[in-house]
Amino acid sequence: MGKLIVVACGAGINTSTVAEVMIRERLDEEGMDDVEVKRILIADIDKYVDRMDLVVCMMKIYREFDVPQLKGMPFLIGTKAEKKEVLDGIIELVKD
Amino acid sequence: MLYLKESFVFVDLEASDSSTVIQKLADSLHVAGMVTADYSAATIDREAVHPTGLPSRPFPIAFPHADADGVERSALAVAILKSPVLFKNMADPDEDLSVELVIMLANKSPEEQIETLRNLAELFGEASKLTELKAMTDTSEIVMWLKKELALDA
Repeated sequence: MGKLIVVACGAGINTSTVAEVMIRERLDEEGMDDVEVKRILIADIDKYVDRMDLVVCMMKIYREFDVPQLKGMPFLIGTKAEKKEVLDGIIELVKD
Repeated sequence: MLYLKESFVFVDLEASDSSTVIQKLADSLHVAGMVTADYSAATIDREAVHPTGLPSRPFPIAFPHADADGVERSALAVAILKSPVLFKNMADPDEDLSVELVIMLANKSPEEQIETLRNLAELFGEASKLTELKAMTDTSEIVMWLKKELALDA
């Protein structure tokens, strides 16, 4: 099974959608079709902890996971360069 | 389709707290049939649990919204505040942000609004654009400017 990136936010609508789409587009550009991006409610994260490889959080969460955790805020308010920087970091983390 | 009308835009809005701003914006959407009457309460409730203040530059903004249940038609409402109002930071709910611009997005389906969401994120990331928007005083100018920036249908 391919890798799974989870994008978590409070209601799973607007802010996580922005991040999900930007990550998906970048993965497609990189030809990394086997990496899945899933937008979820933070309340549902326990369903994914066992199989996720990376979690992108749109808000602060008060727990740690066994996988890398990135802040999604630059997707919303970062400059173009900052948005690219987060995407570069994500690619780096899921590429092997 | 995302609706943005002059009646959804407030310039120099005086408000004592975030709930007052949310109420004002949600009511303007409700009057026009965009959202149900309880959308404002739903948004205020959600804001308390999952705040939407963003530490954008050169000033913080807020992006209050509730889930799609109360949305009849997707729409955007905007308030430029006369003086800053405190919202909690989405990235850290313990932190207060002095918000100067509030953009409420009532979104029926994020999948259908992906381009708008992306364009909003581009706008939120450009300090010069936020400054330009905040300096505007004419609601029709704001509507035209936002439609162009967000590539909304006229």
